[in-house]
Formats: sequence, C-alpha cells, structure tokens
Amino acid sequence: MKDAVVITVPSHPKYLSMVRAATVNMGKLYGMEDPVTEDIKLAVDEACSNVIKHAYRGDTSKKIVIKYKNMQNGLAVIIEDSGIKANLKSIKGRDLDDVRPGGLGIHFIKRVFDVFKFDEKKKEGNRLILIKYREKG
Amino acid sequence: MNIEVSDYNGKKIIILSGEVDMYSSPLLREKLLDLIKRKVPILIVDFKGVSYIDSSGIATFVEGLKGMKSYGGRLQFFGLPRGIMEIFSFSKLDRVFEIYGNIDDAINS
Repeated sequence: MKDAVVITVPSHPKYLSMVRAATVNMGKLYGMEDPVTEDIKLAVDEACSNVIKHAYRGDTSKKIVIKYKNMQNGLAVIIEDSGIKANLKSIKGRDLDDVRPGGLGIHFIKRVFDVFKFDEKKKEGNRLILIKYREKG
Repeated sequence: MNIEVSDYNGKKIIILSGEVDMYSSPLLREKLLDLIKRKVPILIVDFKGVSYIDSSGIATFVEGLKGMKSYGGRLQFFGLPRGIMEIFSFSKLDRVFEIYGNIDDAINS
C-alpha cells in the first residue's frame, strides 16, 4: 500500500486553516521535525494561496487537491489545480531588499522545500511538486 | 483572528491574536487603513497572541507602514513570538519595522 494521503479542499481562503492543520498532522505523522513542520505549514499555505490568487483568479468554486506522500528520505507534497497554467518564467519572489507588499510567498516555499517544480506533463491546470528531504540524524 | 483597537497612554494599539492569513488579512487591512486614513501618529501592534502569519498578513503591514510613512507616522510592533520574528527576519523586514520586546519599550522609544 502506498503511504500517502490526499485531501481536496474548495478554493476558498477560509479552508486554508484546514490545509494548515492537515499539513502539520501529516508532517508529524511522517516524522518531520517540529520546526521544519511549521515551515512546511507556511509553505503549503502559500502554495494554496497562490492557486486561489493566480490559477483560479479568486474563483472560490474550484478545487485544490493536496497529496502528502511519505518517501523513504522525506515528505512530498503535491498540489494540483485545474486553473490557469503557471507562467514558470514569471514565478519569482521579489528582491528581499525591495520592500513592498507582496512577492514573499515564493520565498517562504523555497525556504523549506528542497524540490520545487511544476510537472510539465500535466496538460491542464497545474501540479506543483514539493519535496522536503529528512535531515540525516 | 481577532482584532481589538484600544488606547494606551494616548496612543492607538491594535491587539492582534490568532492566525493572520489570506482569509483574515482583509479585515486587518480594513482596520489598519481606517486608522491610517485618520493619520494616527503612532500605531502600536501587540503581536503576543498571534499564532501564525503568512505573506498576505505581512503584505498588509508593509502597505500600512508605507501609508503611515507618507505623513510621518510610526508603526511599532511588540511581543512577536519567536516563529513570527523568524519570518520577519528571513524577509529582512526586521530592519524595516520598529520591533520591540514589550509595550513600554515601544512607547518610550
């Protein structure tokens, strides 16, 4: 049996608290350290917020599918939507020295995850693959 | 998220608690911009009860800071829990916002 959990939430910001709670639980269940789990929680929240804002342009009637997969060497979080394709060239955070509202979410995602990539094989919508490798103890 | 606005020694204080995210930050923005519209000279935000903040919450405060600076106002924070302080530090915003350990340090600054 594959060690994975899939949750589906509506694309409404009110469900982000549910995503955060699920992410913390999955992080703990899959053996991530507490401080890392907190960073993963923020990152997954930011990734789902980006889906609502950019892929669905604020449409709250769509779905976000989040898969948590226990890997031998870490945790994978795969986030899928059926919205507008992400423009990979435009995905970059703002320069942290350029203080202005916005542009931080992507930094929060890349801060914790070792792998951040979009599955280019997905024809419609987006599949964001995030992997955090476990610290070798 | 819960927001209370009160007065302390003649200064406006926002007592913020709970989780500040994409869902709750529009309410924070509304309260903040309302105070800025009234050109409050010093606004102090009590972060002690804040358990979580995401980029939308931070963006709201950056917008608030810019608004206050436009008329010479000051936006001050105190009581940031460690995890939230780390987020501000990572974002290099600890150099931009006035951050204090407690309310007296903020008031006496």
